[in-house]
Amino acid sequence: MNRQSDAALVRRVLAGDTGAYGELVARYRDRLGRYAMRMLGNEADAEEALQDAFVRGYRSLHRCTEPERFGAWLFAIMVNRCRTLGAQRARRQRTVVHDEGILARAAVADTAERHAWRETIAWALRQITPAHREAFLLKHVEELSYEEMVEVTGASVPALKMRVMRAREELRRLLTEGERV
Amino acid sequence: MSEHDDWLAQAVEVLREPVRIDPALDRRVMAEIERGPAPDRPGWREVLRRPFGGQLAVTSPLGGLALAAAVALGALVGRTWLAPDSTEPPSTLGTMAASVAEAVQFVIVVPGATSVVLVGDFNDWSRTATPMRPADGDGVWAATVPLEAGRYRYAFLIDGTRWLTDPSAPRSLDDDFGPPNSVVTVGAT
Repeated sequence: MNRQSDAALVRRVLAGDTGAYGELVARYRDRLGRYAMRMLGNEADAEEALQDAFVRGYRSLHRCTEPERFGAWLFAIMVNRCRTLGAQRARRQRTVVHDEGILARAAVADTAERHAWRETIAWALRQITPAHREAFLLKHVEELSYEEMVEVTGASVPALKMRVMRAREELRRLLTEGERV
Repeated sequence: MSEHDDWLAQAVEVLREPVRIDPALDRRVMAEIERGPAPDRPGWREVLRRPFGGQLAVTSPLGGLALAAAVALGALVGRTWLAPDSTEPPSTLGTMAASVAEAVQFVIVVPGATSVVLVGDFNDWSRTATPMRPADGDGVWAATVPLEAGRYRYAFLIDGTRWLTDPSAPRSLDDDFGPPNSVVTVGAT
């Protein structure tokens, strides 16, 4: 299988081969889509942010100064789009529907209630600040190094470490309380 | 401590599960970019506009910073929109650009305003990161922001509630997913 590098695809796009961008979209849609889904909490917003990030990435591709690092560059756009869309949604939808019973039913060991556990985690993520959620997801789910997180978020390493730590504390408290109910 | 590790491992396992993305999304992306300009066409290199309508003469930089460009607002245009309500502290400016930052001054005329905040891509649309200062007693507000070469969208927040775009600057061409905003391009020729 002859898989072209990101850098080669970026150069093809900049040379006028728009179709090459489709290969980059296919390459990154799943990972970026997962991040958007975890960050924004629903499929519609996640797909909106994802499409927006891809389009903005294409339109500003000439600013990708390190084509071999296209993935990290695009991830930064994705993070920013999630911030913006999430903030807009926060203003428009302040009412969060939360089923208290979900917490009472959350029990990881019981596979029959795995759905409830998923719902509980999603609920807990919504309770923490976007900055903490972002840091937690980038560190623990996307497994970025702190140096990569600096590149993606623009925040400092100490600030990011603090956010990750606080996010963990908050999530542990929320999830532990849920299991105790 | 093992309890802590348990919940974290279990949560991460769930969060790393693949999510369903509409298979048609790829087509929508490609259709949208086909409708727009290519990445590096000159049409995307919008230039800074002169002060609007001659209502304001920008003569001196604030805070000793060099004045690289000025944008003046003379009239209220556009519609009111809900803006991001970010609690995120101001992000590092220009993290994606490699060039040297220029000091860009933004100026707006808003008689009667008690506060004016400059928000945009350069401060992650923070409502608090870049407050503008009254430049004189005639409703002139100004702020200077170091910007690296690139294209930035921005708007003004008046008294914490009212949003204005800048009629003297180009409108963003790709704000189809967000609120209307203006565009400034630094380093364009």
